Amino acid sequence: MHIRVENLGQTAGKKTILRGIDLEFDPGMVHAILGPNGAGKSTLLRLLGLLDKPDQGEIYYDGQRLGALPRALRTRLRRRCGFVFQSPLLLAGTVEDNLRFGPRLRGLKVGDPEIRHVLAQTGLSGRRDQEARLLSGGEKQRLQLARVMLLDPEVYLLDEPTANLDPLSMKNIESAIARLSREGKTIILATHNLIQARLLAGRVVFLKEGMLVQAGAAAEVLSRPLSLDIAEFSAAENIIPGILALREGRMVLDCGRLAIEVVGGHVGGRAAAVIRPEDILVSESPIASSARNSFRGPILAVADLGAVMALSVDCSGFVFTVFVTRISCAQMNLAAGTHVSLTFKATSVHLLPVD
Amino acid sequence: MSYILEGLKQGAALLLPPSREILQIVALSLAVSGAATLLASLAAIPASLFLALKEFRGKRLLVGLVNTAMSVPAVLIGLLVYGLVTRRGPLGSLQLLFTPGAMILAQALLAFPLITALALAALKGIARDARDLALSLGANRRQLAAAVIRQGRFAFLTALIAGFSRVIGETGMTLMVGGNIKGQTRVLTTAISLETMKGNFEIGIALGIVLLLAALAVNVALQGLQGK
Repeated sequence: MHIRVENLGQTAGKKTILRGIDLEFDPGMVHAILGPNGAGKSTLLRLLGLLDKPDQGEIYYDGQRLGALPRALRTRLRRRCGFVFQSPLLLAGTVEDNLRFGPRLRGLKVGDPEIRHVLAQTGLSGRRDQEARLLSGGEKQRLQLARVMLLDPEVYLLDEPTANLDPLSMKNIESAIARLSREGKTIILATHNLIQARLLAGRVVFLKEGMLVQAGAAAEVLSRPLSLDIAEFSAAENIIPGILALREGRMVLDCGRLAIEVVGGHVGGRAAAVIRPEDILVSESPIASSARNSFRGPILAVADLGAVMALSVDCSGFVFTVFVTRISCAQMNLAAGTHVSLTFKATSVHLLPVD
Repeated sequence: MSYILEGLKQGAALLLPPSREILQIVALSLAVSGAATLLASLAAIPASLFLALKEFRGKRLLVGLVNTAMSVPAVLIGLLVYGLVTRRGPLGSLQLLFTPGAMILAQALLAFPLITALALAALKGIARDARDLALSLGANRRQLAAAVIRQGRFAFLTALIAGFSRVIGETGMTLMVGGNIKGQTRVLTTAISLETMKGNFEIGIALGIVLLLAALAVNVALQGLQGK
């Protein structure tokens, strides 16, 4: 289902929670809603799922305006959406009781194979007769997802479904989300987890203080953030502030003890350089390259992230985070204290204006 | 001290076995207060659900009013009901004054704010979650109400117990509108008050024991339900 919102706004008392949101959501796509706490992510999801009515603006399901619809029709449209709440809402009763509640409300008969199927898909096969409220946090969250999957809605609204979960539950939910989006579902995922957004989302929406900061293709928003807020939130690891200057005919960002060659910008302007860790080349000794940005310093720490190792490298007082593969880490014999060179192109530096 | 002990002994003796008159008084007490609690809850449960689930302008004021209404003295409610049902009052044609009907009406009015406020307080934590859960899984309006009531049943039961306990122990207002007519509107509290003032201390004690037992029995029964 295609969802469009226009000038959507919500207030609570005198406080504005959402304001002027224009967005579109498409089938077969995961849309990650990012933003700090209090940005309005949950509120947006609740409005999209017709749990609350907006104070302002319109929501369209497949081009149909919702504000004008009678209650019975709203219920019918709400049934095309599934909601997974941030803190699991479960009925007293067994796992199966919880699964059967939705179909019962809709007057649907659900057979044993369907129940077993969704339990298997969420890794809950052995839990069918257990008291739902006694499940672990991760299991509760998976049960919420299973309960929605059983209803096979067109739209999945997932409010931080993996917050504070064990890695196994997180992985299980993430692979379920990926599978559902391949099946053509419209998936809207509020998350704090940037790795998750990078992994799953085709599109990213960034909210702050109830307003839309940036929306677009995930790769675009995450690698070319429009504002420092997004860069900082999206943990763009290397953010270095400075003043733009012209040196030997080239534009550089003067950061004090470090000058980073950049592309674009106005001389004298204050800006922050954002350099993605994966765009930085690590070598034992300086390499001959057209890239002018080459800095050298000792490794402060090595963190094992599984697939890659993250190094913190101190270059003239600025600590860069860079990634190397496990193999090159071993080959270069990298450890805390080793001196390395970091090299990156001017075009890899993303400049953000600083007010 | 011996006077009180003697009264207790005689009072207990009066109950073994209880006279027809005492049984009748007990039955009427339970019937009037039960009916009043039921009548009050018919209005109080929907009211508490509404207040717990709906957001609207002036909600805080309304909740404040309900809470204030809890502390309205019973005797003022008695005065109000008396004015309503007396022969010259707006409901005078119903000839309710000094009947169980008037007592039920007055006790229901007394119990309504109490049940509403207690149910609302207990619902606060659960109503919104129950609503979200039911709505998100596709409940229509009727199913939504049923789901929230189901989740809130303990809250309602607790409020009902409190409401019933309040009205079955009420005296002055019940006397004002019921009249304490022997065999017709005499209930436990009004009988205790009358007999004690007449000097029949042991009868007062006997009826007091029954009142305690009756209240206890209802509480135990309702709490038994709650345990399930």
